[in-house]
Amino acid sequence: MNELMAARSLTTRPVVTLGGDAVAQVKDTVCDAAAARITGFTLTGRGLLSGPLKEGLPWSAVYALGHDAVMIRGRRCLVTAAAMTAHRTHLRGRLLGARVLTEEGAEIGTVLDVVVEGGTGGRIVGFRVAASRRFVPGPTRHRRRVYVPRGEALTVTGRALVLPEGAVRHVAEDLPGFTALVGGVPGPRPGSLP
Amino acid sequence: MLFTEVRGLPVLPPDGAGALGTVTSLAVDAVSWTVSHVRWRGSRFGGETALPWEAVRTVGPGAVRVRSAAATEPAPAPHDLLGRRILTDTGTGRGTVLDVAFDTRTARLLALFTTRGELPADRLLGLGDYALVVRAG
Repeated sequence: MNELMAARSLTTRPVVTLGGDAVAQVKDTVCDAAAARITGFTLTGRGLLSGPLKEGLPWSAVYALGHDAVMIRGRRCLVTAAAMTAHRTHLRGRLLGARVLTEEGAEIGTVLDVVVEGGTGGRIVGFRVAASRRFVPGPTRHRRRVYVPRGEALTVTGRALVLPEGAVRHVAEDLPGFTALVGGVPGPRPGSLP
Repeated sequence: MLFTEVRGLPVLPPDGAGALGTVTSLAVDAVSWTVSHVRWRGSRFGGETALPWEAVRTVGPGAVRVRSAAATEPAPAPHDLLGRRILTDTGTGRGTVLDVAFDTRTARLLALFTTRGELPADRLLGLGDYALVVRAG
């Protein structure tokens, strides 16, 4: 498994061709209706005042999703954004803020962020959740943020994600802990030698 | 020879007259990975001129001797290799370029010295306006 990264950290990540040219930067992540994998990205221009682009980047054109850039083969890989986002779920619009429940109906919390796998897979591995007080007990003013693995049997009903009971037995406090929990590769630390 | 050693060398014309100017940088062809142009500047406020590698007779020691300085053309896109950001093809940063070694006879790049160690020249993939892309190894 490749490095895990939070989907909101992908925003402003440059889109670079293998020839070394930056063609755009990521605006938002688009995923499929079952919240299983990334289907593409919407883009903005690279300049300070450049607005959103009409082109989008489908996942099939992504060469690799990396720690510092989204690599693509060439500028021609971009497609019309409207064709790509039809019937798909914008991360910001649909998934963020969705409620997370178990099959028994116990409330776990609301989605703050989506954890995706880098590299070429584009799988959605888990969610960063603002946990409800019943799920993670603690003092009232304690910030309860946990990483919940997605598991295999997740169903999306409206604006709620329903997880099986066993999926929330193990949760992690932070992204390195979550990486260890689901068996990912830790990302490069700044300044570390290869 | 290293790029930083060539930078600042005087450009000498073939007839033995005084120096035309000093070398500011070397331009690299991103397909064959050879030095394609020598960019030099006549005076501190003068514009840069790009001299194709075929017009260069010898590089070093102590000077760049040219066949004819007249064969100049508009400078290619100024993708300077020194100080450039490096990305692997998996999208991970790999530091910046500190120095480049090249063969003064064939103009081929031999190795790159980066802030994260040495890179052989056969791992280079592309050079653009954002970064130098290398194969992850």
